[in-house]
Amino acid sequence: MSSSRAKILVIDDDPDVLLLLRYTLEAEGFHPSLAGEGETALRRIEGEHPDLVLLDVMMPVMDGWAVLDGISGLSRPPRVIVVSAKSGEIDRVRAIKLGASEYVTKPFDPEALVKLVRAVLERSPAEQDRRRSEQLASLRA
Amino acid sequence: MNEAVVGSFKERLAREARISGLRDFSTPSLEAVERRRFQLWAVALVLLVALTGATVMITIWRDFPVAQSWTTPPAFRIGMLLLALGFCAYVLEKELAFRRLTAMLIDERVLTAALSNRLKELSTLLVVGQAVNSVLGIEDVLQIILSSAIELLGGSEGSIMLLQETGYLQAVCVMGNESAKGAKVKLGHGIAGRVALTGEPLLLSGRADPEMFPDQVDRSQPVNSSVCVPLFNRGDLLGVLNVSAGADRVFTEYDLRAMTLFAEHGAISIANARLFEAEVERVAELEEVSRLKSQFVATVSHELRTPLTSILGSVITMRNLDLDKRESEEFLQTIERQGRRLLRLVEELLTAAQLEREGAVRQYPELIDLSVLVAEVVRDFEGGPTVDVVGPRSCQVVGDGEILRRVLTNLVDNAMKHGEPPVQILMESSAEEVTVRIRDHGPGVPVADRERIFERFTRLDQTGNRPGIGLGLPIVRELLAACDGRVWVDEAPGGGAEFGLALPMRLPERVRR
Repeated sequence: MSSSRAKILVIDDDPDVLLLLRYTLEAEGFHPSLAGEGETALRRIEGEHPDLVLLDVMMPVMDGWAVLDGISGLSRPPRVIVVSAKSGEIDRVRAIKLGASEYVTKPFDPEALVKLVRAVLERSPAEQDRRRSEQLASLRA
Repeated sequence: MNEAVVGSFKERLAREARISGLRDFSTPSLEAVERRRFQLWAVALVLLVALTGATVMITIWRDFPVAQSWTTPPAFRIGMLLLALGFCAYVLEKELAFRRLTAMLIDERVLTAALSNRLKELSTLLVVGQAVNSVLGIEDVLQIILSSAIELLGGSEGSIMLLQETGYLQAVCVMGNESAKGAKVKLGHGIAGRVALTGEPLLLSGRADPEMFPDQVDRSQPVNSSVCVPLFNRGDLLGVLNVSAGADRVFTEYDLRAMTLFAEHGAISIANARLFEAEVERVAELEEVSRLKSQFVATVSHELRTPLTSILGSVITMRNLDLDKRESEEFLQTIERQGRRLLRLVEELLTAAQLEREGAVRQYPELIDLSVLVAEVVRDFEGGPTVDVVGPRSCQVVGDGEILRRVLTNLVDNAMKHGEPPVQILMESSAEEVTVRIRDHGPGVPVADRERIFERFTRLDQTGNRPGIGLGLPIVRELLAACDGRVWVDEAPGGGAEFGLALPMRLPERVRR
């Protein structure tokens, strides 16, 4: 799939982060849709079937962990990059275990994030699984 | 009693036994002495009766042939008389030896009884020592001390009363008269109060005179005899130990002495248990401090990262992308807003540190218009959810403008973070005070947490998904307290939280600059 035509959903409760990610992704040719909280986001994932989700963790009402949990129960789960201000190792492990492909700590470099988005979208399912088990192994070591 | 004394006592006993003809008895008993004395006097009696009988017969029947042959020559008669006298002397000497032996045996019995009592006391002390060392909780230590004291004295009930900070003695451990548990006695009142005040142990026989000992603890069973001793550790009074007996036991001076000795050990155990409890508490406090510290560092780092994400991201985006004027303005606003958020965080940390270090903040009271101040604070939150202000156009108060700005900013910030819009600010003033209420339409604050949220590092949201470092509301309370104001939280009409703050209305003349 051409990664620029991929559907991306950005979920973050901070409007400034949403704005920043929208501009960054649009400049690279993506057309991201935005969600400000977990519950709406989960409904939109079920309805819109995005290819990739950029997900914040600390959100009121329904947090990122609950969204990840909801995604893992879907028949066609999108790939997920968690973007969080939580910088602990324990959070990184939790995200990968819950099915996230990558974990990015805030503050992030917009260019590096876009590169990562492309890389995750271009991975084959087999490569995707390999990368995740590699990440888990390196985190546990 | 040392070994030399015991040895010489044994030697004297053996000598007297030898004199008394009790060679076979290595340890003569009182019963054996009595038996031998009975035998001696029986023989003496028989011989004296026989001698007397013979003398009488000879006197009556002078012509009796046997009498004549027996009584001649006269030397024989004299010999008989001397023999009788010698025997009497022998019997008397034996009797004297028996008396000495009896006295010594009685002494030995008394000493043995005293020794066995002392042994019992020592073994009880040993048992108490071991038991007390095996437990560390103050409750268990008190139980062991009291049950051992009752056992040692053969009492029926008892209590340990400890001196409380209020100056009262309180029954913290009770056996046999459970209704007295928790009873309080003033120093100098009742038996325990008297003992605590004078520091002298007390032995009471019969029922205590209510006039002499007012305010006695109520009892279900009448008490016949009681012993009450003070518990001293390194000269400090900890409390008193009391043991009582029913009708079948009367305590003696000996019991009082044993109990006093016992109380010395008991007091040390109680003091140790208290030290241990204090240590356990302290360790728990330190662990909690350490936990809060780690949590605080994690929270602060998160709170710093979030605005930095927007600021750095905006700068990079503005540099890399060819944005038009409107788009650039959007990013500049983001940078300003998140910059202010960072500033608020830094100010919050500094104020918290200052309040902790100095206990208060320096105040510069001046005449300020609270309506203007509220409008300025609301303007700082532009770009976020709207804030409606209801109140007079002008509201003059005397106060420190910076402190009040801080307080209002924290409360509005709190409503934005934890409540739901719309946020409303209602201002009212009377002759005595000015009140400002900040309402939101969020989940509100549960009644049980309405005081706790003003304590440092309290986060009602245990998931940590809500922003904040747990210092905003405590700072508000501490700052307002410094200005004689107060803050509280209630339920807003129609749900949500309503934070209220009140400031005393001061007259402008009292402004000092």
